[in-house]
Amino acid sequence: MLNRTRAALIALGLCAVSAFSPAMAADAAAVAASAPEASASAAPPAAAASAPDAAASAPTGSLDDRVQATKADVISLNRDLLVLEEELLFPANTQVAVFVSMDVGLLFDLDSVQIKLDDKAVSTYLYTPLEVQALHRGGVQRVYLGDLRAGSHEIVAFFTGKGPHDRDYKRATTIKFDKTTEPKYIELQIKDVQQKLQPEFDVKVWQ
Amino acid sequence: MRQRSRFFPGPSLVAAVFAGALAMAGARAADDPNKVPADPPLHPVLDPHYGDVLFEFYQGRYFPAITKLEVSQHFERMQHHADEAEILRGGLLLSYGLHQQAGEVFEALLARAAAPSVRDRAWYFLAKIRYQRGLMPEASQALARVEHALPAPLEDDRRLLQANVMMALGDNAGAAKILSPIATPRGDDLYARYNLGVALIRGGDSAHGTTILDDLGRQQMPDEESRALRDKANVALGFAALKAGHAQEARAYLQRVRLQGVQANAALLGFGWAADALKEPKLALVPWIELAGRDASDAAVLEAQLAVPYAYAELHADAQALQRYETAIANFENEDANIDATIAAIRQGKLVEGLMARNPGEEMGWFQTFRDLPLMPHARLLTPVIAGNEFQEAFKNYRDLQFLGHNLAEWHDNLGVFGDMLATRRQAFAERLPRIREQGQASGLDMAHLQQRSDDNAAALKKAEDDADGVAFADDRERELQQRLARVTGTLAGLPPDADPELAEAHDRLRRVAGALAWQLAHEFPARVWDAKKGQKQTEEALVDVRAHDEALAKAQREEPAHFEEFARRIADLDARLNVLMPRVAALSKEQQGALQEIAVVELMSQKERLAAYTAQARYAVAQLYDRATEPKEGDHAARP
Repeated sequence: MLNRTRAALIALGLCAVSAFSPAMAADAAAVAASAPEASASAAPPAAAASAPDAAASAPTGSLDDRVQATKADVISLNRDLLVLEEELLFPANTQVAVFVSMDVGLLFDLDSVQIKLDDKAVSTYLYTPLEVQALHRGGVQRVYLGDLRAGSHEIVAFFTGKGPHDRDYKRATTIKFDKTTEPKYIELQIKDVQQKLQPEFDVKVWQ
Repeated sequence: MRQRSRFFPGPSLVAAVFAGALAMAGARAADDPNKVPADPPLHPVLDPHYGDVLFEFYQGRYFPAITKLEVSQHFERMQHHADEAEILRGGLLLSYGLHQQAGEVFEALLARAAAPSVRDRAWYFLAKIRYQRGLMPEASQALARVEHALPAPLEDDRRLLQANVMMALGDNAGAAKILSPIATPRGDDLYARYNLGVALIRGGDSAHGTTILDDLGRQQMPDEESRALRDKANVALGFAALKAGHAQEARAYLQRVRLQGVQANAALLGFGWAADALKEPKLALVPWIELAGRDASDAAVLEAQLAVPYAYAELHADAQALQRYETAIANFENEDANIDATIAAIRQGKLVEGLMARNPGEEMGWFQTFRDLPLMPHARLLTPVIAGNEFQEAFKNYRDLQFLGHNLAEWHDNLGVFGDMLATRRQAFAERLPRIREQGQASGLDMAHLQQRSDDNAAALKKAEDDADGVAFADDRERELQQRLARVTGTLAGLPPDADPELAEAHDRLRRVAGALAWQLAHEFPARVWDAKKGQKQTEEALVDVRAHDEALAKAQREEPAHFEEFARRIADLDARLNVLMPRVAALSKEQQGALQEIAVVELMSQKERLAAYTAQARYAVAQLYDRATEPKEGDHAARP
């Protein structure tokens, strides 16, 4: 009988010795210990113009090693592609980026933002609950990236959502700014003004 | 509940990385990455591009987060958050399983004079990487370099990690000492309490360890994850008691386990064996019959299908035992055929394709919970395989590769568009700029001509000013007056003095008018000089602007072709890299799919072997029962399978 019982226990892998193992599922899910060295050909986090030969030499090693090295190569390639895209489409001397941030934001439940640059609508963005959460937590959304020639310009932003007491709320804010040959970053800030129990919409020009 | 993070190491690790980062920046971070902090956070973002990375990160969009982060690092747009960005990058790389790259990030942070808080976190994450790679002494050394308490969410994790490393190194007493402060009785950190109990038992203090696990095993739990841990503690205690021969205690522990949890089957099996150990086969039948009717993909269920007839035989109910054994044999054979069908379907690729189709995911790097099994024969057999860590890791890699394959294909299209755009821009530039410059020169509006005119004007102005020549500033009306005066003067001069009695008066009037004009010109002279100088200055300033534009055009004409060439070269280089990586990703995907299928097949083959062993046991028991029936002997006992 005892033999039978023990056999059952062993079959299930639940005998006392193995049962008393630390509970930290993260460890169990850790990358296989069969990865002593990632491939040496994995591209280092170098400058964007880093050599294309990082991808040219196929990594060696276990399948997991090769997959991880390839992931690293693709991430590195994505960085270089995005750098190229930005330099080609939005060069620094004409670049303008518009950001949306939310400081607290309890008095305003954001639905959408519309942005007009020099009286031309350049962006209309509808927010998902997850995106609003991300803004609440301190994320700053780049809602528009474009080009402007040097000189004076005007930006108008319209915010719609629910204001205090769950009422529909629509506000606009505007600012005139000078575009030089440096990139221009403009942050549209949604703030709570506790004294007034009202949201406030502000514009900050970074450069 | 912080425990949740430990079941999803990828995201939770990154969340923990960032929780620490944000804490250092002065904001209050939530432990759960999906939870908005209850308290108003400070606004710590000093570089909007860093905030943009966080915006992606907080939505669990790790791939855009890491690529945006690296792009902004390239353009040096996150200088206020340089170290925090690096910590975040290391965590993101780690979540993708890029241990080497993540390790390099943290080591680089340590090599430069980073702030002590950053160094401490870097050492902690290096320790975590080493622990995950099984490098326990190295992990221990890294933990020893953490000099200060980490930010709140990380500090408890550091203790847990340190305890696990110590247990792995055999220092159970040391692990228990580390865990004791956070594993308070009825405290929130259930994993710390569980691990403390395990460390104490392993270290030889069974009584104390058992008390802690027993306390955990009795506690009311608020959620499924906590209840699963409570079940795990009770099953561990139950089987330990069973092994020690304390069957009654084992039943008490195992009785607390829920009937529908992950540990339920093991508990039912053990509960029956405990009853059997107490010579109560009738009691053992209750859990075993329940268990034998459950999904046969679990080894415990197969065991129960043998245990039930064994108990009947113990009770001398040989007919029922025989019937149950035969039913079990039929079930095992049926299950064996099912496994064969499943293996065939797996080898046709239906497992991986089915999982991808029924569990779509947009991001890479997540340990996704499978909601639905693939549509294939006897998919339930795959439940334990799919739940296994090895399969999950391999499937994560496969899904990541699929994601990267789509990503590269999109870039391949975009890069073609970039090439076309560059060609159009280059052609327009080559055609339009020279034409514009030629037109300017043809109209006499070239820089040299304009400059000459400006210089002439300046010289004339200076001469007029030096000569106090008010006439030089006369307007059109005054010039006309001057001309009329000159004509009148000439006419009067041609007349004899006595030609007309009013001639003297005409001379006098002419003198007065000429004097008035001269006075007017002299009076207006200062103001007109000032206006002329102002105009000249504006002209010269405008000329400076024109010259700057002209030089910019000339420079563009000179240099832009080189820029275009540079862009073209970069596009070609990137295209070459894309063309290397796309087939590599496709080949790896295929290889990874094969590996996934092999994991499943190996597991199913072991199930087949187990079934064969159980079938043999059942047949042997049946033979023994037939022997006993044909040659009955007084005092015989049931055949033991």
